[in-house]
Amino acid sequence: MSEPVLTASALRKTYLSGDRRIEVLSCVDMTVLAGESVSIRGESGSGKSTLLNLLAALDAPDSGEVFWDGKPSIGTEVRGTYLGMVFQSFYLIPELDALQNVLMARRMVGRVGSAEKARAKELLAKVGLVERAHHLPSQLSGGERQRVAVARALMNSPQLILADEPTGNLDEKTGDAVIELLLGLCAETKTALILVTHNAAHAAKTNRKTLLHEGKLHDVV
Amino acid sequence: MPWYLYLALKQLFPTGRRFPFFTFISVMGVALGVALLVVVTSVMGGFGYEIRRMIVDTEGEIQIKSSGFITDSAEVLKKAKAVPGVVAATPYAAGAVMIEYHGKPAYPGMRGLDLATVEEVVQLSKYVRLGSLDDLDDDSVMLSSQLARSIGASLGSKIEVYSPLMIERFKSDEIFMPREVRVVGIVEIGHQQLDSSTVYCTIRLAQDLYGLGSSVHGINVRVREGQNEDAVAARLNTALPYGIRAFSWMDSFSDFLWVLQLEKNMIFFLLLFIVIVAGFSVASSLLISVVRKTREIGLLGALGGKSRQVAACFCFQGLIIGICGTALGLGLGFVALTFRNDFVLLVTKLTQRDEVLQRFYQFSQLPSHTAVNDIVLIVVSSVFISMLAGLLPAWRAARLKPVEALRSE
Repeated sequence: MSEPVLTASALRKTYLSGDRRIEVLSCVDMTVLAGESVSIRGESGSGKSTLLNLLAALDAPDSGEVFWDGKPSIGTEVRGTYLGMVFQSFYLIPELDALQNVLMARRMVGRVGSAEKARAKELLAKVGLVERAHHLPSQLSGGERQRVAVARALMNSPQLILADEPTGNLDEKTGDAVIELLLGLCAETKTALILVTHNAAHAAKTNRKTLLHEGKLHDVV
Repeated sequence: MPWYLYLALKQLFPTGRRFPFFTFISVMGVALGVALLVVVTSVMGGFGYEIRRMIVDTEGEIQIKSSGFITDSAEVLKKAKAVPGVVAATPYAAGAVMIEYHGKPAYPGMRGLDLATVEEVVQLSKYVRLGSLDDLDDDSVMLSSQLARSIGASLGSKIEVYSPLMIERFKSDEIFMPREVRVVGIVEIGHQQLDSSTVYCTIRLAQDLYGLGSSVHGINVRVREGQNEDAVAARLNTALPYGIRAFSWMDSFSDFLWVLQLEKNMIFFLLLFIVIVAGFSVASSLLISVVRKTREIGLLGALGGKSRQVAACFCFQGLIIGICGTALGLGLGFVALTFRNDFVLLVTKLTQRDEVLQRFYQFSQLPSHTAVNDIVLIVVSSVFISMLAGLLPAWRAARLKPVEALRSE
């Protein structure tokens, strides 16, 4: 049986809105096994992105704990190597070309040598962009930018990829292609994936489907 | 290379863009300030250097004087030469005279030189434009270039010299005749004051005209290369007889040099504000960059970047702008200094004021002397100010929480 790469227990998160406290997550428990893909669906404002931020240790829960590989998540120290992140708005650095954007993930956690450059090119080849390696983000289409972001997320061979509505800014056809690519690469590299999406068809392609509703996470059969 | 330095370089010099406008404007702001500082401090330094050159070339580094005359000049010379650091010494007699040539009078200063020793101390022959120092004898003089021009005298002209001693004799109802001497040289030092009103003659002629006998007015001293003039002057003062004192050229011109230094410091201080203003411009541009790149800063946090590394990225941008701007400014400054005289010549020709410039600023060319200390001060100040300019944006960027930065619109 696979080991859990991420465990969240009794996560609770509230926000102040004026003088009113809104509870976004009330008691979320979650376990993701190595190589597993899990989708999280939910209405807008249901707390999907908040949950993802807590799982990535970008934000702190009011109570509860998150474990990466059985150890408490401790923020920036290992985030760069343990997690890969894909965002709705791609967030590529406009001054860097596609190859440099992919390499940036590695540069943030260690040195970049010829082996790393070769790996970045290999990843770009896998997402079908090796010939556009030296194009700036402004010279790429939305789908191409997201594929670069996928390659960047995989650059450090993470245990887990967190994808926050990665097709939100793409048309349906391009979005489908990006999800296929993301799921395919995660399966190929045995990387676990948490996919936050509105799209039922995309969610259906994951190993396990969940629904975030009224602050709680429910498995969908 | 650490990622924050790499990203700082890439944000200033993005891939595929040769001439990023923001970087160009920021670097140029610093560069212009630095170039101005280099030019102005060098020209101010040049004035000081020219004055030193002029004094040392014509009077030596140290002057020995008494309240009246030095009567036993041979003994004083012997004592002075025995002092460590002294290379050579030469006596002189100096005073005002009246000269006349074809009815044109002039009232220059006269300097009597001991031809046997003068070249060991002052490099007068270097400035003889016409004639030769070797031709100078007790019946001849050399005139400074503008003085010769103003009275119309040239090589071979015979001029009449009147001294104050003759006036004293005139008061005693004695008949006096002016001394007729031949012009055997024209001297041009490059300083308006000296070139306009100096007569060079032998010390014997000067002693005769002033009725000094064997006394002299003073002794010029040359010190060994690399020796401190003030230290040698202090040693001389302990060795010389009572009533005779040695003054370094810096002592003799201390008030003037102090004013010159004060002017230089004030101008440096005022021009430094150009670099400070450029620093504010850099800070403003980087702050805009922080706001514009808020989500990218959030991404850096999500990818594992620490707050202090994000801050370092913006701090380095200020530093890189400072280094590039300073380097460019130094280049521009030195180019401007190289062509300074062409530029001044052009302006004076256009305005037809070349004579006026020489009259007021004493020098025939705009002087320049770049001191290493000044350059070090300029470089350190401008790079430091530019780095400070990066601190505020860096602090602002470091305060951004990745989760909030990623959510920002």
